[in-house]
Amino acid sequence: MSKLRLRSVSKRYGATVALEYGDLDLEAGEVHVLMGANGSGKSTLSKIIAGSVRPDSGIIELDGKAISITNPQAAREFGVAIFYQELSLAAHRTVAENICLSQLPSTAGVFLDRQKMIEIAERRIAPFLDVVGDGFSVNTQVGQLRADQRQLVEIMKTFAQDADILIFDEPTSALDRAQVECFLNLLREQKAAGRCIVFISHRRDEIFDIGDRITIIRDGRTVSTKVLSETNIDEVLIAMVGEGEAVAEQQSQSLPQRTEIGEIKLVVEDITNDSLQEVGFQVSAGEILGLGGLHGHGQSAILRTIFGVLDLGTGQIFLDGAAKDLNSPRAAIRNGIAYISGDRRRDGIITDRSILENVVPVYALKKHLIAASPNTLGKKARMALELLQSKYESLAHSIGSMSGGNQQKVVVARWLMDAPDILLLDDPTKGIDMATKKELFNLIRELAAQGMAIILYSSEDAELLENADRILVLNNGKIVRELKGSERTRYNLYHAAYEAA
Amino acid sequence: MSSSTAQFLTKARSHITNLSPNPLIVALCLIAGLLVVGEFLSPGFASLPQILRLLVVASILGIVAAGQNLVILGGREGIDLSVGGIVSLSAIIAGNVMSGADIGILPAIIACLAIGGFIGFLNGVGVTFLGIPPLVMTLGMLGVLQGLLVVVRQGIPSGLAAPALSSFVASPLLFGVPGIIWLWLMIGLLMALLLHRTVLGYRIYAIGANENAAKMAGVPVRVVRISLFMMSGMFSAIAGMCILGYSGSSFANVGDQYMLASIIAVVLGGTPLAGGKGGYTGTMTGAVLLVVLQSILTTLNIDEAGRQIAFGGTLLLLMVFYGRGQSLRI
Repeated sequence: MSKLRLRSVSKRYGATVALEYGDLDLEAGEVHVLMGANGSGKSTLSKIIAGSVRPDSGIIELDGKAISITNPQAAREFGVAIFYQELSLAAHRTVAENICLSQLPSTAGVFLDRQKMIEIAERRIAPFLDVVGDGFSVNTQVGQLRADQRQLVEIMKTFAQDADILIFDEPTSALDRAQVECFLNLLREQKAAGRCIVFISHRRDEIFDIGDRITIIRDGRTVSTKVLSETNIDEVLIAMVGEGEAVAEQQSQSLPQRTEIGEIKLVVEDITNDSLQEVGFQVSAGEILGLGGLHGHGQSAILRTIFGVLDLGTGQIFLDGAAKDLNSPRAAIRNGIAYISGDRRRDGIITDRSILENVVPVYALKKHLIAASPNTLGKKARMALELLQSKYESLAHSIGSMSGGNQQKVVVARWLMDAPDILLLDDPTKGIDMATKKELFNLIRELAAQGMAIILYSSEDAELLENADRILVLNNGKIVRELKGSERTRYNLYHAAYEAA
Repeated sequence: MSSSTAQFLTKARSHITNLSPNPLIVALCLIAGLLVVGEFLSPGFASLPQILRLLVVASILGIVAAGQNLVILGGREGIDLSVGGIVSLSAIIAGNVMSGADIGILPAIIACLAIGGFIGFLNGVGVTFLGIPPLVMTLGMLGVLQGLLVVVRQGIPSGLAAPALSSFVASPLLFGVPGIIWLWLMIGLLMALLLHRTVLGYRIYAIGANENAAKMAGVPVRVVRISLFMMSGMFSAIAGMCILGYSGSSFANVGDQYMLASIIAVVLGGTPLAGGKGGYTGTMTGAVLLVVLQSILTTLNIDEAGRQIAFGGTLLLLMVFYGRGQSLRI
């Protein structure tokens, strides 16, 4: 009998289906790998088990009994512990406190038993003692640790909960070889002790090394479960991409590939910073360069580094052959770079202000304006908004009165009032409707045809494959492959994304 | 129980919001109402000369509140608690520089604006480059200024207003209206132009509404924020000079009452403490409302302590209904 069974579990957010149909069987004493393309629903599925996302429908059975996991606390009581990809550590607390956070030892139920807490923490650190590196102790504040050390603390914290069901969502992304080895050994021990482990990773070698079975998720549906020793990466990838599509991709040679590409506009050389490793590439006028790979592997970081939001670290950026110091968005804008983020709330809209005020800031900066005449600026703003066929009643209306898609159009219009030379698109169509997406990409292709150099990151593979002339696939902040011409297929995209790092 | 209280407050808040879509009109009605009440309590309260006197007092508060308004609009917990200290310091400096002679007015203006601007600059640098929360930064600055006032007072006589300044503030200048009221109207006009017809104005709202998005759109966030604190310091300096003109000579801690009052005027006028929306027209109305209220309390023989209680209570009440994030839009 399975330890945990999920039957036709689903989750929607408004019109977006995060998980349409999730079936999963976890046996005691197995490492069960979840694999799927971006946005296929693997994180949603693991969050449902961990209680941080409540499913809309479906059945969850623990030891054969139907249960309902209403919140993370309930999940903990059912014996579930989860490693969060985005980490869940308190930066200002010590390593020991973080490791023991979910069940702090106490005396008389009131006072923190510091002695015992440190004992517990030390026991969890012990297996990693040789690989944690310098500056790591039970009393170190987590905020002062390196990225790999923080990730290890999250791992220890997960183990410290002594749970029967452990979920690891990309636990090894920042770890080095020795640390990964250490972690995998611990997993094997847990497996031998009869625990069941859900494992999500982008490293193919790890998956085949540690995994017993694999469940593949495609477009929000769990499509198949295989025994890993009886399958191979090609079979898995085909299941992930969809057999029909994989075959069709192999045969089709008709993807649009423009040849009339202009001179080189942007050269990026050897950038290494917190999120990127030795990233280098070039983009020409009239070209759309795509960035692909699994979520959060440095695509956004490349764009934000070029735009001066993230620290450049080592490396250089050349515009039209001249080295530039782009240390702030202002400097980047002055050098003809535009950056459109899909995270409108954070990076795009100026909340509750008028449409006019949302459209003009970049133009005002580029033209060194001091006075802001609503009439003159309004005329220019209307022209830019017309390019995008935006729907609005009056420029004086608050941007909050518009739909998400139209809000994003306003943000795009902001950058087109005075056309940039280089356009950076950071998942620009996130959370907007299909019709608007289509319009935006028509416009983007048109802008490229007019000679703009464009770098596009999209979390939707189709957008990337349909629009990019070349695709750089990233894994863990590194460019692992370049896909050109007929190589641009979904299959190749994931083949590269799951390449050994 | 706490959830039902919260529910009640939310409900009450939404009721208030529904009933009063425009705080400007509400404030004007309140002012009219208070004038009627005042006239009833003490005949002559709403007479023209008395109203002009109230407006002169409101002008000084309104000028301080202009700076407060700008700092609050800029968001990120923006608030200037040092305004009172700057007002007092400016009154003393102006009094000593002009010492009763008209020829000293221009040097006094220059000195006061420079010092007010400099103090604001220090506030701004502390907030932006050193990352000190505005509340702490300007409160610390207020402490420094109050200490400085004690030191300055020991050696120097309090100073005397120039006759021209006094008559500008107190006597009719044009159409029987004192010059300071004209000055205030002028400042109101300039503020409206600044906020709605200049790029700087757009940028002020932008950093208040969404600082990160503003930065991404190329707004020099730090420079804008420092300029807000500088303008606040300069407005307080102007108000300090006006007080000197109003009372003839400067006396101790004349500016103290403006810290709380300027914040209330801004919030009464519909600018939420979270910033990013609102404007100065509302603040001007808020200043008048507050001064009329104060005057009524005086008529009722309520002393300074009682008035402070009433002011503090008003601010807390406003916070309950407006909330910190949301506000009634003008």
